[in-house]
Amino acid sequence: MNTMKWLLKREFWEHKGGFFWAPIVVSAIMAIITAGSVAIGVTKGSEANIRINGQVVTKLADQFSGEEKAAAVAQFANGYMASGVPLLFVLSFTIFFYCLNALYDERKDRSVLFWKSLPVTDGATVLSKIAMALGLAPLMALLFGTILALLIVVFISLGAAAMGVNIFGGVLSSAALYLAPLQIAAMLPIYALWALPTVGWLLMVGAWARSKPLLWAVGTPLLAVGLIAWFNKMLAFGWDIDWLWKYIVGRGLLSVTPGSWFAYSPEDLEMVGRMKQVAMGPLLAQTWQQVTTPNLWIGALVGAAMIYAAIRLRRWKDER
Amino acid sequence: MNAVNPVVDVVVKASGLTKRYGKSVAVDNISFEIPAGRIIGLIGPNGSGKTMTLKAMLGLVPFEGELRVLGLDPRTQRDELMANVSFIADVAVLPRWLRVSEAVDFVAGVHPKFDRAKAERYLKNTKLTPKMKVKEMSKGMIVQLHLALVMAIDAKLLVLDEPTLGLDILYRKQFYQNLLEDYFDEQKTIIVTTHQVEEIEHILSDLMFIRDGRITLSATMDEIGERFTEVMVPADKVEAGRAMKPIDERQVFGKSVMLFDGSVNGVTREKIAALGETRSPGIADLFVATMKGTYA
Repeated sequence: MNTMKWLLKREFWEHKGGFFWAPIVVSAIMAIITAGSVAIGVTKGSEANIRINGQVVTKLADQFSGEEKAAAVAQFANGYMASGVPLLFVLSFTIFFYCLNALYDERKDRSVLFWKSLPVTDGATVLSKIAMALGLAPLMALLFGTILALLIVVFISLGAAAMGVNIFGGVLSSAALYLAPLQIAAMLPIYALWALPTVGWLLMVGAWARSKPLLWAVGTPLLAVGLIAWFNKMLAFGWDIDWLWKYIVGRGLLSVTPGSWFAYSPEDLEMVGRMKQVAMGPLLAQTWQQVTTPNLWIGALVGAAMIYAAIRLRRWKDER
Repeated sequence: MNAVNPVVDVVVKASGLTKRYGKSVAVDNISFEIPAGRIIGLIGPNGSGKTMTLKAMLGLVPFEGELRVLGLDPRTQRDELMANVSFIADVAVLPRWLRVSEAVDFVAGVHPKFDRAKAERYLKNTKLTPKMKVKEMSKGMIVQLHLALVMAIDAKLLVLDEPTLGLDILYRKQFYQNLLEDYFDEQKTIIVTTHQVEEIEHILSDLMFIRDGRITLSATMDEIGERFTEVMVPADKVEAGRAMKPIDERQVFGKSVMLFDGSVNGVTREKIAALGETRSPGIADLFVATMKGTYA
């Protein structure tokens, strides 16, 4: 267990830029932009409206009815975490390239010879990289995302107050405000299982490729499915090509995107589309519905098999 | 660990060790034994199979044949093995982002036999500072850091594959001096490969020449001193000398320097001494002579 702690520290030292500084920088930029637009909105008065999640939150006070105010507060308290969405995109990219290069770079710069001179098993090393990608990294992103979202709540509430509408009390006393980060944290186990096929595929290709791991990782499934699609069209086999795009390319390459599971059941997509305001409760419930789908479990099993292959490759592949 | 392998006298035992690469054979059916408490020089030209032999010992590559390191099979028991074996495989393999303090912390965290105080003591005598990253270091400093880490590990076997390649003479001398003074003792075994043979010959206890994947010479330094003699032959005795079939002959200041193998029939110390001034040959000269093909 102690070894695992040091392996995780090691990953953090190496990837501080992607997993720590990148979300902080993105958060800071977004916070500054929000603060700036609130300030502009306040100074320009009625000419500008500040919108968040499509809802106008700062109209002139006299145009603001009690109902509208209540709606804005509810919207806000429930949906403020959506301000963290850009962080999730940054996270997906970071995890994708982290997994792809985790077992490739160490062979390229030959530092694998140093790591392998220590009494640390290949299994522990690879598992530490997965724990970083699907455990620590999303937790850190969630932490920064929450801080960012709260900052934005404060900025906009201040802006509203400057316009004569006080929503502080309503927002701060809303339970949804405090529940939202926890509800997102509760989705992480599903996210980790869901992302396994992509993580396993990227680790395996990185452990195997002699050069150009990105080309192998992305090109192989795209080309394979593309070719099959072409044959299918030429020879009119009538195969279900959409299935291949969805389950080979999509699950293999895009499963590290948080929330991508919603795209796999029409009811979920419909539900998300119907939502007038972002509500974390139903999203969390739908997320956990995934445990009843073979899609999640078969993907996780395939991912685990590829992770095992990555461990064997690291054990035996010569570094050059 | 001791339960698995009680005090071992033979640190490495190979029989029929073979490593194939497609159709080519990197290591060709070699057998040898390395006893504990020795410093063995594994010397061979580029592509002779010495690195592959070391990699097989370290469980880094698959191989055929029998190989036991500290009584363990590197293929199946590598995880146990690495607690008692450390290695520097090639220079400058420390990752560029690593800081000195992180390197020490990490090894201290994962290696049960790491003596942190010893590593820090050694680092104090260098220009390395805890905050420094590997990418800011010269090649010589990277090797100093690596050596500091490795020397502080109380391993039974230390494998060094070209540990000083590309370093200047000051770093090279210091490297071997540190190794000998602060690391080596009779409980430990060191296997080292290098092209700078002259620099390590005084610290070696054993020598192994490897060529085309085969061991062409394996002996202790004492045996080599007894077996091989170099003699400075004046012009009038050159013919007599050549008649005794030296394994090598070169010219120095107009005189012939001949190298004789005492294990060849009819060549005795007395006969060699009669030719002129004798001395023990350097490993470099011996290496050149045997690798020429005269000793096939």
